[in-house]
Amino acid sequence: MTNISSADDGSRVEEQGELSPEESLALIAAQNQEATHSLRVDPVPILGMWGVAWLVGFGAFYLASPKGPGPLLPTWAAGVMLGLLFSAAVGVSVGQGVWRGRGIEGPSHQVGAMYGWSWLLAFAGLYAVNLGLIHQGLPSGLGPLLWSGSSLLVVGLLYLAGGIIWADRVQYGLGIWTLVTGAASVSAGVPGNFAVLSLAGGGGFLVGAVLTHARARRAPRTKAQP
Amino acid sequence: MTTEGLLPALDPVIHAQPRLRVMVALAALDAGDHITFPRLQQLVGMTAGNLSTHLRKLEDAGFVEVVKAHRRRTPVTYIALTESGRRALEDYTVALRALLTTPEHQPHQERSP
Repeated sequence: MTNISSADDGSRVEEQGELSPEESLALIAAQNQEATHSLRVDPVPILGMWGVAWLVGFGAFYLASPKGPGPLLPTWAAGVMLGLLFSAAVGVSVGQGVWRGRGIEGPSHQVGAMYGWSWLLAFAGLYAVNLGLIHQGLPSGLGPLLWSGSSLLVVGLLYLAGGIIWADRVQYGLGIWTLVTGAASVSAGVPGNFAVLSLAGGGGFLVGAVLTHARARRAPRTKAQP
Repeated sequence: MTTEGLLPALDPVIHAQPRLRVMVALAALDAGDHITFPRLQQLVGMTAGNLSTHLRKLEDAGFVEVVKAHRRRTPVTYIALTESGRRALEDYTVALRALLTTPEHQPHQERSP
């Protein structure tokens, strides 16, 4: 029965809603911007959080290395920092996807879920291969290079895939940059690889965040026209 | 001056603030996606009763598709723009721009072959 009063409410709104063409176009632009903003994942906090995680986390490993600038902190502390920062970054990434996609069903939901699972599957595969190599007698000194090189290869490829799926040039560019960083980190050797991961890897994400933010500020004016 | 001369070109089903809001919000979804009733309500900022009234009008016009489903034994209502709804919104915006560019506000003329 509550519907009756609401229905009256609805027709009243309708009667006063006699829009001029200008008002209609302004309403379309505003509502479109609002809906798009609410529905789309915002890559800026995701890229920003990953940038900080790489910069600080791998920076800590570099500073903890006995062959680096002298161990300024124990290796376990660097490990804890990297673990916490990476968990936070995963949390921000998954949280954005789940929060923005709430109440949405269909192809985009499926694509997002498949892309999210791809990260988990790819890293599970990477762990299996790397642990297998170590088990087969890979020299332990190569461990850090194996992990950083192979992780960046996987991250780079997944960013390329994300760029392809969402037609996002910044994401695709970040994928290329991550592949280059991975190769450079292996050539640098230990502990230089940690400096490369921290500065080039983390820096790349932060530049990506700034570029995406700048693009989002420019976009609404042109995107408002459906 | 009356608006009767220019109104025929604008679809009266869409040319009302609340329904225009709903149509634009639905058009922001990716193709093939559906949105739940509460999420759509949050996007357009309308009361539940108000939204269902307008959705019914849009559904009657064939512009939106309302599907009732069950998720873990709770009923869920999914809403999406239909193909003809998407086209109607496009035609509507084209008509608005045409009205703005022709200061004479000439009524829409049907051309017969």
